[in-house]
Amino acid sequence: MIGILDLLGTVGGNILSFPGILGLALGMMTRNWILAAAMGGAVGVAETFLFAGFKLAEVQMIDLAIAALVGVLASSVGCAIRHKGATV
Amino acid sequence: MAENSENGKPGNPIRRAWNWFWTPTAVLSAGFVLIAGFLGGIMFWGGFHWTLELTNTEEFCTSCHTMETNLAEYRTTIHYSNHSGVRAICSDCHVPHEWQHKLKAKIMAVKDVYHEVVGTISTPEKYEAHRGDMAAVVWRKMKLSDSRECRNCHNFKYMDFTIQETRAAAEHQRALDENLTCIDCHQGIAHDLAPGYQERYREVVEELQASNALPVAPSEDVAAIRSYVADLAE
Repeated sequence: MIGILDLLGTVGGNILSFPGILGLALGMMTRNWILAAAMGGAVGVAETFLFAGFKLAEVQMIDLAIAALVGVLASSVGCAIRHKGATV
Repeated sequence: MAENSENGKPGNPIRRAWNWFWTPTAVLSAGFVLIAGFLGGIMFWGGFHWTLELTNTEEFCTSCHTMETNLAEYRTTIHYSNHSGVRAICSDCHVPHEWQHKLKAKIMAVKDVYHEVVGTISTPEKYEAHRGDMAAVVWRKMKLSDSRECRNCHNFKYMDFTIQETRAAAEHQRALDENLTCIDCHQGIAHDLAPGYQERYREVVEELQASNALPVAPSEDVAAIRSYVADLAE
């Protein structure tokens, strides 16, 4: 069972890592909400596998879920920035 | 945009700033914005990383009153002063090197500030009352991570058992054979131990085993050594 502090740490770590930063950047590249969310989620999943050395046994499901969720949220924010701040 | 169009009075400054922020620029080229953003990004990231590294210094870690006890204990250990002149400071053992783990550790360390403020371990008596619990938290982390922070400096791959003391060599061999991790034997390497620490450590391990949280496969260096030894045997 993951503690609250563990949870906050994992979320914060993901926000300042690939899912948060690259997810935001990818989201800013499209006006399509679904595509943005998919790209963000993919970054979250890819990051978890990358940091686990591509070993399935070392992938924690909770880490994977949090990374994907942060990626989706970050890319959605990026997409919102595209809608609000660009005319194209 | 700067004025309220209905009554002619200046608008809310926050609203004006918000509108300015989202208005497309008419005087800057895309290249200018990109280059400026890139440079700004480098400066921000450099500053962020520099600040993060400042929080890794011994001075920062021990600037709180509650850290005085463990600092005094650490200063009597081989990790503080030794024949080789290599020192492991607080962050070497308590802060992971890998970015994702480091950030998580930094965010979780906010609890230390909270406990400093509320005075959870502000007196020697309180400190001793919490010593076992604090140690158990660190043991749990180390057991879960296969003593990742120890392995930043110590690695079975780099050990020459033939120049170790006989007992140490035998125990390290046992650790390899039984898939043990550093903290399984080296509790209290930098801080004093609470009475009954062995029972407490056993509880931590049993709790992790019960939740199937412990890695079942040997670490990469152990696997590499076993493979190497197997090749030699053949």
